[in-house]
Amino acid sequence: MNLSQSTTSQISAVANSPLLWILAVAVLGVVLLQSYVYMRAVRANAAGADMTQREVFQAFRAGGVAAIGPSLAVVLVAIALLPLFGTPPILVRIGLIGSAATETASASIAAGTVGANLGDASYTPDVFLIALMAMSLSGACWMISTLILTPILARGESALAHVNPALMAIIPAGALLAAFAGLTVNELPKSTIHILATVVSAVIMAICLWVARRLNQAWLREWALGFSIVGGLIAAYIATN
Amino acid sequence: MKTTYSADQDALFAAYTRTTNTWGRLTLFVGFVIATAIPFIVMFTTDLDVTAGQIITAFIAVAAVYGAFYVIEPITYYPILGTAGMYQAFLIGNIANKLVPSAIVAQSTIGAKPGTRKAAYAATAAISGAAVVHVTSLLLLVGVLGTWIVSIMPPSITEVARVYILPSILGGVMVQLIATLKQVKATAISIGVALLVILLLVPNTPKLVSSFQIAICVVLTVAIVWFTHGAKDDDEDSALIN
Repeated sequence: MNLSQSTTSQISAVANSPLLWILAVAVLGVVLLQSYVYMRAVRANAAGADMTQREVFQAFRAGGVAAIGPSLAVVLVAIALLPLFGTPPILVRIGLIGSAATETASASIAAGTVGANLGDASYTPDVFLIALMAMSLSGACWMISTLILTPILARGESALAHVNPALMAIIPAGALLAAFAGLTVNELPKSTIHILATVVSAVIMAICLWVARRLNQAWLREWALGFSIVGGLIAAYIATN
Repeated sequence: MKTTYSADQDALFAAYTRTTNTWGRLTLFVGFVIATAIPFIVMFTTDLDVTAGQIITAFIAVAAVYGAFYVIEPITYYPILGTAGMYQAFLIGNIANKLVPSAIVAQSTIGAKPGTRKAAYAATAAISGAAVVHVTSLLLLVGVLGTWIVSIMPPSITEVARVYILPSILGGVMVQLIATLKQVKATAISIGVALLVILLLVPNTPKLVSSFQIAICVVLTVAIVWFTHGAKDDDEDSALIN
């Protein structure tokens, strides 16, 4: 425990360095800059779409209000991940393309390639860096691919738009199910508390999704992962103390 | 209903398209550069001992899972988002859970018909509004409040969060995936393969195998699902993760 706590503080020192804070805030600043330029373009050219300035503002506000619920749900998950990755890496990885599940899976797979597990004594600063690299490079691929494909798709008539639909459905779904099944099964032999956390999380998710569908509560679907994580952690805390 | 636009309006729309394309590409590129530079800056400003081989290996293992998504997601979202929206969406992420619902709500708020310029403008404005809420919530609630909460938490709690966060995420995500994808056969195959690979193959083979255990699960599952795929059961929902 002492060993793992000293590596924890080493990781924390690397992950929370002032330079990374600056870069994390810069990345979020780029998002705000983009929104600012886009809004100016919409406002200046609104008449081109028979749109009034009032409608532009209404659309902006409606989009913002609709995003409050999903944003708070993401915040809950992000805070639960802070002890593992530190604040600036979480702001960048959750703030840009990707999701809590995608990033955690990437980090876990990356740690596995050097025989380490996220969170335990084998999770050294070196492993943290390998995990951060893998998450960042994977996120970069989405962005590069968008930069390359968007102009091609914009020209229309692209063969890309007619990829075999069965291929589109089967391979990614199979890959996703296999990765998460593998990662989940990998947790089970670690300890009975790992099994407990996995099962409690899975049960809470199942209940949330069932209630969301039965009572038609869409917001519950967004919050389900946050509730599952908190439930799993509370169960693990009670079991360890 | 057919809307016609005057030449002046066409010029305005062309200006909108030009600005959003140029700045969309530029901001997505800058976001990509900063985000990707971060781990390299950590590597070169600390004395951590990580080799290029380790990084490439880790990336290949991750790309084995997500490689298909890098290409499929932009293609799938393009008809929904349009060119301007693509550069917003693939910078910000949270596309299906945050941005697309925001755009739809905004379009219905101002009564913009799908496929019109007005709908495109409404989507851009709505995603901009969503982006402001997204960034503000992250900076204030995660960056400031979250960091403070973690700092005052007793170590016994943060220790539990660190050690058991992974199973606490995975249990829920696994159920969510099964419920969303609704692919009974692929689910059964993936769980069977995972049990076999992780509990039986890995403990009885050299350490190299365990390094690629997830990639092995992915390749085996996709191969089995693909070769047992009948012509008639191709009505699956497409899988999207962003």
